[in-house]
Amino acid sequence: MIVKKITLAALVLTGGMAAAPALAADGKALFADKGCTACHGEDAKTPLEPGYPRLAGQNADYMFNQMKDIKAGARANGLSVDTMKPILEDVTEPEMRALADYLGGLGPIVGKGDPAHAGRKLYMTKTCVACHGKDGAKPIMKTYPYLAGQDAAYLTRQATDIKTSTRKNGGTNTMQPVMHLVSDAELAAISEFLANVK
Amino acid sequence: MKTIFKVVALTLVATAAIGTATIDRSWAAGAKDKPAQGKLLGDKDYQWNANGGEKDEAEHLKPDPVNGRDVYEVCAACHLPEGWGQTDGTFPQLAGQHPKVIIKQLADIRALNRDNPTMYPFALPDQIGGPQAIADVAAYIQKLKMNPEPGVGDGKDLEHGKKLYKDNCVRCHGEHGEGNNDKYYPRLEGQHYNYLIRQYQWIKEGKRRNANPDMVQQIKTFTDRDTKAVLDYVSRIKPPANLIGTKGWQNPDFQ
Repeated sequence: MIVKKITLAALVLTGGMAAAPALAADGKALFADKGCTACHGEDAKTPLEPGYPRLAGQNADYMFNQMKDIKAGARANGLSVDTMKPILEDVTEPEMRALADYLGGLGPIVGKGDPAHAGRKLYMTKTCVACHGKDGAKPIMKTYPYLAGQDAAYLTRQATDIKTSTRKNGGTNTMQPVMHLVSDAELAAISEFLANVK
Repeated sequence: MKTIFKVVALTLVATAAIGTATIDRSWAAGAKDKPAQGKLLGDKDYQWNANGGEKDEAEHLKPDPVNGRDVYEVCAACHLPEGWGQTDGTFPQLAGQHPKVIIKQLADIRALNRDNPTMYPFALPDQIGGPQAIADVAAYIQKLKMNPEPGVGDGKDLEHGKKLYKDNCVRCHGEHGEGNNDKYYPRLEGQHYNYLIRQYQWIKEGKRRNANPDMVQQIKTFTDRDTKAVLDYVSRIKPPANLIGTKGWQNPDFQ
């Protein structure tokens, strides 16, 4: 019986891959139907309040992992538990994939930072650039996030939560060991620099 | 329909779980082209330095230091253009390190034989290249002059540290911590104290699973006082003058 189920599952999975364009269309509908637009904005880049992330163009694999982790309780910082988790309870993993692919497809995130901004030098010397790329617009792994143009309050919150191990999911263990290099004031400057990458 | 998706999810989770049986590699998710993991400290029949593969290939290639400079660019973000690392030990000094040590550690990190989430993506072929690139960057790193002011300990117990070093460490790491290229023993002299402490602790606890079992055995009975004293001593050993850079030197290759 288990074998049968797995075979069936494999077929469904294969079918899902073949029908990727249809899923991408679903992603747009899901983004509205599941209520995501209320906080993240209809275009996924005008969030309701400072501190909420912009999603348009973010790495799809990164978003997919975050949705899974929030639903599973692995990411439990900020609004993850009280606000996001109840919504994700009603979102299946294939639906998360479709959402992530749709949102990722709203990119690419491009842009240049202000070379004279005080946060730029910190971004370069505190080793952020190594993983998130030039001006936060070229993450080196598909599971790492873009930072360019992201909401400043959100960036500061997440980086602080990673520093204090309040956020511990996914790839945060790659970042946590370097966070002691950055003070709160420096972090604020870096966030402001990144938020203004246009 | 919902049930089926649950089974898919379960299957995926189960597959992932098998992959993390020995090491949590969730941070490696999405990485392509992962070489096979070798046997690790604690596994049956683990032999230090027996993992072969890319390491063997890289160390027999003729290095091209010009390309090594280009490969090193990605390393420079954390290890600095000078290869001097961070004095607080967050990142080690690489300058002056033996090529075979660099090659072995890179190959080990790439194959997940040394668990280093922060470094891992940079050891992947799409960041750093294949065995030739590894050989090239190792040659480039060796030529970099070393940090004249590495991070050190409190300096309060150096005589004790010196004695411990002579009795326990000289056999492999050499009279003044110069290491041994042919045996893959790292140069320790002038390495940042906090980095030495961290790696030593991980070796002692079995967390650094590409460690040499002889060393694990050797330091088994060291107390905290011993550890601090010997590593403080090591961090303060001055490398030969011809290997040390001048204070404030900036690597012109990256200006």
